[in-house]
Amino acid sequence: MTTDRRSLILVAVLAAAAASAYDAPRSLPTSFAAEGGRIVTTVDLAAAFPSDLRKLLSSGLTNVIALHVALLPEGGGEPAAIFGREIDVLYDVWEERWTATVKDPAAPQGRTLTFERWEELRAFLREARGIDLGPVAELGDGRWVAQTRLELNPVSKELLQRTREFIANPAAAGRGGPPSRSVLGAMASYLLRGADSGSDVHVYRSAPFTAREVRPR
Amino acid sequence: MRFARLRPSRFELKVAGALVLAALVPLGAALWLARTLTAENLALALNPRVVARLEATPALYGDLFQARKQLYAEQARDVLRRLPSDPRRLHAYLAAAVERTPRLRRAAILDASGAVLEEAEATQPSPEGEWRPAPARVEVPAPSRLGLPPGAILECTFAVEARFFAELSESRDLGEVYHSADALRADIQRSYVRAFAVLLGAWALAAGVLGAILARRTTRRLSDLLRAVSDLARGDLSVQVDPGRAHDEVASLARAFNRMVREVKESRDRLVYLEKISGWQEVARRLAHEIKNPLTPIQLAFQQLEAAYSAGEAKNPKFTRLLADAGDIVREEVGTLQRLVQEFSEFAKLPEVRTEPAELGDFVEEFVRTNPQLSAEAELLVTRGGACPVALDRSLMRRVLTNLVRNAIEASRPERARLHLGVARAKDRAVLTVGDEGPGIPEELRGRIFDPYFTTRHEGTGLGLAIVKKIVLQHGGEIAAGAHPDGGASFAIALPLEPRDASERPEPPASA
Repeated sequence: MTTDRRSLILVAVLAAAAASAYDAPRSLPTSFAAEGGRIVTTVDLAAAFPSDLRKLLSSGLTNVIALHVALLPEGGGEPAAIFGREIDVLYDVWEERWTATVKDPAAPQGRTLTFERWEELRAFLREARGIDLGPVAELGDGRWVAQTRLELNPVSKELLQRTREFIANPAAAGRGGPPSRSVLGAMASYLLRGADSGSDVHVYRSAPFTAREVRPR
Repeated sequence: MRFARLRPSRFELKVAGALVLAALVPLGAALWLARTLTAENLALALNPRVVARLEATPALYGDLFQARKQLYAEQARDVLRRLPSDPRRLHAYLAAAVERTPRLRRAAILDASGAVLEEAEATQPSPEGEWRPAPARVEVPAPSRLGLPPGAILECTFAVEARFFAELSESRDLGEVYHSADALRADIQRSYVRAFAVLLGAWALAAGVLGAILARRTTRRLSDLLRAVSDLARGDLSVQVDPGRAHDEVASLARAFNRMVREVKESRDRLVYLEKISGWQEVARRLAHEIKNPLTPIQLAFQQLEAAYSAGEAKNPKFTRLLADAGDIVREEVGTLQRLVQEFSEFAKLPEVRTEPAELGDFVEEFVRTNPQLSAEAELLVTRGGACPVALDRSLMRRVLTNLVRNAIEASRPERARLHLGVARAKDRAVLTVGDEGPGIPEELRGRIFDPYFTTRHEGTGLGLAIVKKIVLQHGGEIAAGAHPDGGASFAIALPLEPRDASERPEPPASA
């Protein structure tokens, strides 16, 4: 075997290892408790957020954090439960405080929280509490994992709608102008129905657990 | 039937397909161009530096607000520094401070519980329009020295232009939309290309449909022509196609086709008729021969019988009268048969046509002039319209006119006939009309009156019009029976106009 050929194999092996490391979901500290017969999960998202999160969330623009947690059999298969939560964070540059609007199954219309200090907001975001993954009885004797999907600033329906309006009538963007007279823009706006997944998507997996490990709180 | 007409022919489908293909080829290039153009426009509109600047705009407003807050705090401290020690001058001082400090709308001294001890407010509206309050509070140091209670606070309410907040909101919206558009760049590009595809596709489709509709006007006529040719191939010589109102090659083709079919039909009818007449002529010749041969012996035998009886002695008056009556009948019937034989012979021995150039109008006038007996029996009115050079066999055509005029006179009896002889030019034909004001010919009989032996008169042989038609056909012409405008019958003879140059003369039609 020549040196060149050995080098090529080494590069291929490293590339495969890097690819598998990239593809394999990482793990986040996740705890499970039983409350009222239901699995209530808490996920520590500290490692999931970027290091410049404060700068991002203090930009004065609305930032969206989309969190989805799915309860999956360890061996794979259909999820037994899925929980979704969306947090819109807006920093008020005049009041110098953050407002977080949380929408989840417990508050579909959203509940608003105000944070005067960054540390308070960081603590709130870091620890995702009250994630309801369904009845404990559903777990049975199997082994399960909680898969967490965290996406920063996905294109929400509301933002998608605003973008469509912007395309249809760019001259009136933000001014509530008259309807577009651009046929092409209106058509493109009509055809802009969905968005690809953003690039800032992170998927994590908890350690496998059984029903016995879900202790009452 | 209606659906069958709507169903496109293969030719129409090919034309429509070619149009759609012709529209689709540039569509592909247009889509590629649209994709490139959209990508370039998006790259221009969503320039990362522009997006970054837009996203940073709210932070700039934050910096502005921060600076304003610091300024207001400094101005509040400045007001505090000059607070008068005499509480009675406090109101005037605060009013003066409000008056002189830019954007200061209200200055108040509050106690520890927040109750207002003294205050002054700006009376004039803010020169910068709508505003939002920005309070700045500073604790009064050593309040007792100024005659104020412990914990007293100076609260200055400054004005911040409301437009800043509106602009901040707008820039935030714009920044978020641009951020979203940047994230959706690939989707937006795709939707624009799809929009291009949909609009151009619709345009191409509309062009194809419009083209097919326009082409259909031509292809439909070609399809009709094809169908007519098929009918013609099956022997249907009555087929005609509508050339439409267009003046193009297809219309010319349709008109030429119609003309060709008419001429073929006329030629076929002429040949069929001449063959039929030829057959009847043969029958007439044999009949004449078979009837003529025994007539003379019959006549002679009867004459001998009469002579023998006259020479006899014994005379039976009853038989004498019977013989005389029988003799009258035999002579009359033999005479009738001889006339019939004569007509049959004439019909059977119609001579070949030998034409010579003639002016049809002159010929008709000459006919009237040289037949004064006709003028005695009828009123003849001749009208001419334009020169009508034709090729005529004068003798035979004279017989044609004689037969027609005789028929008209007979038909008008007992009235004196009033005949209209007209000569006119119609396209490439010279038309000779012979009309009367008699009872006319019933429409259902007009198709049969030229058949040999067909007659409506008791004493007629039914050969006159057959002879007329044969002679006309031998001249390359046509004859048709119709109704005269003044009532009565009308016969129209159309003869081909004779070319001025003799070399252009067509060969005379074949005669049977």
